[in-house]
Amino acid sequence: MSATPTMASGGRSRGAAPLPLRALAGEQLAVAAGQLAAGLGNLAFSLLAARLLAPGAFAHLASFLALYLLVHVPATSLSAGSALSPELASRVRRQVLAAGAGVGLLLAAASVPLSAALHLPLAMILLLAAAAPTAGLIALDRGRLYGLGAPRRAARSLLAEPVVRLSAGVVLGLAFGEAGAAAGVVLAGWAALAVARPPAYAAPRATGEAAAVGAGAGTGVTVVAFLLLAIVQNQDVVAAGALLGPDEAGRFAVLSTLGGLAAFATTTVPLMLLPRAASERRAFPAAVCVAGALGLAAVGVVAIDPSALVGAAFGPRYAAVAGLAAPYVLAMALLGVTRVLVAHACAVGRGRVVLVLLGAAAALQLVLLLVLGHDAAGVAHATLIATSALAATAGGAAVLQFPRAGTRARAAVRPLTTPPGAAVLALTAGGLVLRLLASRGLWLDEATEVSQAHMSYGAMLHNLASTDVHPPLHHTVLWLTVRVFGDGELAVRLPSLVAGTLLIPVLYRAGSELYDRRAGLAAAALAAVAPFPVWYSQEARMYSFFMLFAALAVWMQVRAVRRGRPGDWIGYALASAALLWNQYFSVLLVLTQQAAFAITVLRSGLDAGERRRLLRGWLGSALLIAVLVAPLLPFALEQFHANESAGKGFEGVPSQAGAAASQQQGLARPAIYGALTNAVWAVFGYHSDASMTRIAALWPLGILGSLALLGRGRSRTTLLLVACALAPMAALFVLGQKKPFIFEVRYFCAAVPIALLLIGRLVTGWVRPAAAAVALTLAAAGLMGVAAADQQLNQSNPRTYDFRGALDQIRQIARPGDIVVYTPQYLNTVIAYYGTGVHAKPLDNGLPRRHHSGRVFLLASFQDKPQYRNQARQSLLALRHQGRRLIASMHRPQIRVWELSR
Amino acid sequence: MTSEADPRLLSPAWSASPPGRRHRTRLRFGIAVCLPLALFYFAWLLDPARIGNPLLYGILIAAELFNLLQALGFWWTCAGERARPPLALIGEHPDVDVLVPVYNEPVDVVEPTIAAARRMDGARVHVWLLDDGARDEMRMLAKRQGAGYLRRKGRTGAKAGNINHALRRTSSPIVVVLDCDHVPQRRFLRATLGHLAGPRIAFVQTPQCYANADSGELAAAAWSQQALFFGAIARGKDGHGAMFCCGTNVVFAREALEDVGGFPEGSLTEDFELSVRLHERGWRSAYVPEVLAQGLGPEDMASYVSQQHRWARGCLGALGLVLRARLPLRVRVQYLLSCSYFLTGWTVLAYMAFPVIRILTGAQPLAAPAADQFLLHFAPYFGLALSMVAMMGSGAYTFRAFALQSASFWIHVHASLLALLRRPGTFKVTPKRGADGRQPRAALPALAAAAVLLAIAVAGLVRGHDPSTLNNVAFACVHLTVLSFGVAPALRGRRRPAAAIAPAERRAAA
Repeated sequence: MSATPTMASGGRSRGAAPLPLRALAGEQLAVAAGQLAAGLGNLAFSLLAARLLAPGAFAHLASFLALYLLVHVPATSLSAGSALSPELASRVRRQVLAAGAGVGLLLAAASVPLSAALHLPLAMILLLAAAAPTAGLIALDRGRLYGLGAPRRAARSLLAEPVVRLSAGVVLGLAFGEAGAAAGVVLAGWAALAVARPPAYAAPRATGEAAAVGAGAGTGVTVVAFLLLAIVQNQDVVAAGALLGPDEAGRFAVLSTLGGLAAFATTTVPLMLLPRAASERRAFPAAVCVAGALGLAAVGVVAIDPSALVGAAFGPRYAAVAGLAAPYVLAMALLGVTRVLVAHACAVGRGRVVLVLLGAAAALQLVLLLVLGHDAAGVAHATLIATSALAATAGGAAVLQFPRAGTRARAAVRPLTTPPGAAVLALTAGGLVLRLLASRGLWLDEATEVSQAHMSYGAMLHNLASTDVHPPLHHTVLWLTVRVFGDGELAVRLPSLVAGTLLIPVLYRAGSELYDRRAGLAAAALAAVAPFPVWYSQEARMYSFFMLFAALAVWMQVRAVRRGRPGDWIGYALASAALLWNQYFSVLLVLTQQAAFAITVLRSGLDAGERRRLLRGWLGSALLIAVLVAPLLPFALEQFHANESAGKGFEGVPSQAGAAASQQQGLARPAIYGALTNAVWAVFGYHSDASMTRIAALWPLGILGSLALLGRGRSRTTLLLVACALAPMAALFVLGQKKPFIFEVRYFCAAVPIALLLIGRLVTGWVRPAAAAVALTLAAAGLMGVAAADQQLNQSNPRTYDFRGALDQIRQIARPGDIVVYTPQYLNTVIAYYGTGVHAKPLDNGLPRRHHSGRVFLLASFQDKPQYRNQARQSLLALRHQGRRLIASMHRPQIRVWELSR
Repeated sequence: MTSEADPRLLSPAWSASPPGRRHRTRLRFGIAVCLPLALFYFAWLLDPARIGNPLLYGILIAAELFNLLQALGFWWTCAGERARPPLALIGEHPDVDVLVPVYNEPVDVVEPTIAAARRMDGARVHVWLLDDGARDEMRMLAKRQGAGYLRRKGRTGAKAGNINHALRRTSSPIVVVLDCDHVPQRRFLRATLGHLAGPRIAFVQTPQCYANADSGELAAAAWSQQALFFGAIARGKDGHGAMFCCGTNVVFAREALEDVGGFPEGSLTEDFELSVRLHERGWRSAYVPEVLAQGLGPEDMASYVSQQHRWARGCLGALGLVLRARLPLRVRVQYLLSCSYFLTGWTVLAYMAFPVIRILTGAQPLAAPAADQFLLHFAPYFGLALSMVAMMGSGAYTFRAFALQSASFWIHVHASLLALLRRPGTFKVTPKRGADGRQPRAALPALAAAAVLLAIAVAGLVRGHDPSTLNNVAFACVHLTVLSFGVAPALRGRRRPAAAIAPAERRAAA
């Protein structure tokens, strides 16, 4: 017996032709419009009351409305249950009424102390008691209307509430003050209930014990699921009240009110979907589209000019939270979409899976609220992270129709309309959005490369050969990009963004062929959120290419060995050549792969024909790589000699901050914790040094990982992947003993996509049941998503250099005649990129003259390096000796700015 | 159980033979790398500068040295492996008495064994059903299958007494002992009797294979442990001339049995003690790494605990005998390794206690700044040692087997305490069918340990997030996870995968 409730009376019969998407979306929008109109009507009532009542009376009414909402919010989960199984309304009506009446009686009995505690008139508490019985009943009956296919009546019930409030409520308010207005609200509730009460003839058709039992299981899950959604939606408000001071809680209340718009606008969408999801194929996409559109519209409205909106609606004292308005509304919009996903899962019998997700999301949000909830921004971020994770995982659970383990992808690319194709498309789109979301400024290396890209092509190559340590592929691509799209932040990062996004479908295909579709989907899901690919998709450097080419090279190698078509060998050779043209250290990966070919050819058990085939392909591909890479050799040699004669080598490369965490204290060479730190960076991204030390201390969990591999068998593919991931890393570790800066995760980031493939295989191969594989995949992706969020948002990430923010801030306060001096000297490119309109010069060129009358801004970065720290300190002293005084200093991530004036 | 559904009648899914030509080379290469890594680790660990809390350090060193000895013994055993091919007896077929002791096992478990034993070729087979349960249904079974039936008045000496009683009433020069659930293949005698003809060979042992390994996670994990023993370890013991009798699927020369006065009746592991006595008297043993009979392993936690406790109690009780026996050195060391394996639980207990003590009191075995150096020295040794287990077990030894073994730590501790106090044990037959319900009581000590570890992990997280505390929390989580997997079968009850449900049962369910 299936628990899938397919008997919703309002649903269309099986034989009926499916409704077109547009019609379904239109219906959804019509009801949502009713909901929105009701919301606006209620808002109008509040605004009117604010004008009609005295301030104190209005405050009482506002408190009453908050309590009224508090009683109604948990009850709304019943709507979902009765929308899914309309007979639930008649089945539990008495119990719900009794519960409501019980709450009402309790409120009435405790009205005197409550009135004193809440500073509300006794009459209002009694009115609240009178409203209590309606909460559950309204929810039940409205849900039943959706279930019976009578959404217009539901809309009428929604509209009845503001109509009565605006008529009776206003009149009573004028006559009896706040208590009268509250009585109007209660009357409106009873009126809405009267309208929602369906006619007797619309009783559900499906009866009988079996149906009831099946529905009971499904509806119970649905009710709990929507209750958990209500918790996720509202617990931040409660937490803000408990954790923050009154001012900060007030600021968060502003965000919450704005976010409520998006959440409120999409309330009816899942309820409309629930009775149809199982029978109407297009109902789900229609609901997703409507919820997404409404959510995006809300985000759009708020994002156009949040400062103006917040200022106009709430007053200028709340302007500080304007910047958080759009992210918070986005969080609520995501929750709106999630409600649809949850409704769909419940309707098709997968509710238990989403219950786990919802429980985890609620717990995650609570933990984040406790950890981050020091101010309104922290609370908002906690909710944004939790709802994003929830939306991503619920979305993944909805689209990931996990295939059975062991089903290898067909050679031909499957059309994107099939479930895995749709899943990969969704993951790619999600990954792209995630990669677009962050907006950190360019850092030094990017700015340098952009400045090189502005040269003529010949000059750029000459510059590269004489001053740089990288081969020219990415520079060439960037050179073209700058000429086509300009040198804006997004433009110069476009090649990396494209490569980083392409990594998602490439890993799907690679995982599908190397292992099975499950592993491919899991690897794609991980690639969508993995911090390292996300980070380098947002950096105008060659590392995103590095990861993509590495994934392609390994995939093509396995293809070539297994299938051996000429195209496979050529694909492998092209990917390897691209690797070498992109990053010199990729030679380690290429050599590892060549060694793997040698072992494969020499291994016993091959028949002569197979051995000949492999040998031919191997030598042919090696020759092709040699031909393709040959033109690079003179360039590489010239570059090498230039660097050697300049005495630079890799010590000359400015290393990024955060390297300290990867090196054992007191040792210049990379050590075991350095290796651990780099491994953690590769999988979990960049975090503050303190976090990295803590994460590295969790190494015993690696013991668990190695134990878990016991009995997993040996696969040549896995051995190849492990070798391709570890051998270059080990080689760099050894080389790093001589040249420490070489042992840096960027230079073996080819290991990252390979690690994602292996993790994808691990989480899907560990367990057989699809649900368990999905759960493990989602857990891994969730973990990486949280790590990505910390990497992107946490300003103590030592790899975040906010040159843009620092120079923007200087530009805002600088006047003609002011000057910026900066150290180290090699910041010149990034200063040139962001310092338009600012007069700047490096500290190495000397301090401003003593008689320079304008202000001096001393900008210093790389302050973890003693020579630059000392230079900044001494310059500051020298400027003071010139008679200047320090009037301000500011900190931006990895940047310090001192403002000095006479 | 119908014959159609009986997995013991299917072809074995596992082979005890070495996995390939290069296996031994790889194995020796692995050992050659492991030894310097072990030296690297212990040279670092035994440096006095590492001492944190002296008492805990002492316990850590004792545990690590014990495990090192076990590891060295394991590598040494496996490095000397010998894989005897099946060997038939040339010439006239001898008379063979096949003894199948029975106590309370169901008829449908015993009948396929008797029927299959009757079908064995390569000898004149006389099958005897030794019924200690005094049940008429067994008498009928024997009659039905054309087997002899023996019943005695008392039950002294349990299984050993039962076999000895039969030995006095039978006379064939060759005796096969089969547990009543182990269904032999037709070629069982053809594959083994040739080896018994060797000079002073007392017995030829063959693997014990659990045909019900697919019947649930506990059966699978228990089988995984057996597979490691009857694969690499048993081949190695045979190479060192120290394979001991495992109580079933074994062929004896009657002369050897009579030389030592039959099976010792005062032991819980009569087969083990019998082997010691035979080797002491100059008899030799052989092991044929070929699955020639398939039986039923424990399917639920209570059965597993009962079996492991009996083995641990018996083997630890035999330690004195091994030390006193006049055995060749390498044989004695092999026996000592087998006996002392059941002390492993103490080391597990010590490892689990370290993070608890560290989080509660701040005391730890190693000096605090040594954490990263510990990883540097320990990780290569641990990683390669683990790889060796995986390689020697040919992938048969699984994480769940490891987890089940770790969760059995308390059995070892309890059994060794009983052995130390010289408390007598009682022989309990391992149930041949698992119970379907949950059995948390059978894993109560492990559950208690898991609860303590969980509480300490939470307490650690609440107390502080410094790297040292997190490191210990991580250790606690590792132990907690391993224990959780180990006790999971007891909490979930027996769950058979769909594939393991017999076609007949599926039809019945339909």
